[in-house]
Amino acid sequence: MAELLHGAGIGWRPEIAGVVAHLPALRFCEVIAEALAPATPPRGVAELRERGVAVIPHGVRLSLGGAEPLLAARVTHLAACAAAVGAPLVSEHVSFVRAGGREAGHLLPLPRTREALDVLTANVRRTQSELDVPLALEPIAALFDWPENEFTEPDFLTELLERTGALLLLDVANVHANAVNRGQDARAVIDRMPLDRVAYLHMAGGAERDGLYHDTHTDPVPEPVMALLRHAVSRMPGPPAVMLERDGSYPPAAQLEAEFTAVATTAGHSRESGPTCERVAL
Amino acid sequence: MSAHWSAGPPRDVAVPPGEFAVSPPEFADPTPSLADRQAELVAALVTGASDPAGFDRSRLDATRQALLRKRAGEAAQHWPLLAASLGPDWAPTFARVHAGHPSLGPLCDGWDVARTLRGRGELTSGAAGELDEADSRLFYDGQGVPRPHRTARLRRWFRRG
Repeated sequence: MAELLHGAGIGWRPEIAGVVAHLPALRFCEVIAEALAPATPPRGVAELRERGVAVIPHGVRLSLGGAEPLLAARVTHLAACAAAVGAPLVSEHVSFVRAGGREAGHLLPLPRTREALDVLTANVRRTQSELDVPLALEPIAALFDWPENEFTEPDFLTELLERTGALLLLDVANVHANAVNRGQDARAVIDRMPLDRVAYLHMAGGAERDGLYHDTHTDPVPEPVMALLRHAVSRMPGPPAVMLERDGSYPPAAQLEAEFTAVATTAGHSRESGPTCERVAL
Repeated sequence: MSAHWSAGPPRDVAVPPGEFAVSPPEFADPTPSLADRQAELVAALVTGASDPAGFDRSRLDATRQALLRKRAGEAAQHWPLLAASLGPDWAPTFARVHAGHPSLGPLCDGWDVARTLRGRGELTSGAAGELDEADSRLFYDGQGVPRPHRTARLRRWFRRG
């Protein structure tokens, strides 16, 4: 598989735009698609794009696993975002966010059944038909499972990616969260994931609360998640593209930069691998 | 899958009491559709409807709490003085006001909390000022999306005219 992304990235958020602009060796960033106006991307995002930092629209409200029909306008918006920022790919989630006319307010897990696979497959293909770039799918962190599960999560994802040709956005913190909350060995789960389909990895912080691990994105990345990243990287042919997500309780700039650098070096990227250096070398 | 899932329209298939029917292909599937199950689950998570069959109740409770914490965080961005006035009590207070009530968006979510606290005489002066400012800017009836006051709408209409 030709690699679409390289190096280390970060989830671009307006609150940390100033810090992100100065991160060393930043190769790509993700922008929440629903927060992006294709005609007028935020100045910070446009500037990164001009510097050669790849921008990936990341959808959170398409509801690819929803049994109700996809909203055509949301698919069109995602495609327009990709075109507007010249994205090498876009990403969304293996989840649903609304049903019966109600919004859940967050990403919810799907039953890992043949019926849900059929729904996902149809919705993913429908989305791909409007996109000019590849689509990567991210398995989510969940606090509960459906009782009717027929597949393990790695088997379910493998089947979904085979059916659709979509890529995998593997969130290492989500694997950790689900393994803790299901009483599984996270490394064994990683080993069974379709790692040959990985487009890039997510890393994020979380915290334990009442015996459950919550993928908060507002806490630092804990050591077990960093260790799981090391394990995932050891199972891959080369250093994978990896990015840090933070969605609130933003730490001081130095701390955010240190965490970004720790994620990048753990995945095997050096500080000197930024696009600026490449431009100089050319 | 377990027997109590088959609650729904009566079936023609003869099933011994207490046993789950594995329907032969010539019969309609008696289990609820994915769409029905998803709708049931979302309703249980955001409206306080009863939990769908088969789920671990404690995990759904944890999810309801997490959804409310996320909503509280989003509302705090629209109501910084209100949220700051409660400090660590912001999220629990928010959850008590909104548990079982779907969101009309973060602006309305915070507005509801502010009005509840004003009703109890518990608003700090800063938070009260924030509520007054919102009430003067927009009309919110507690049911739907806030909109400009009628006088403001009329003023705009006259300006356009």
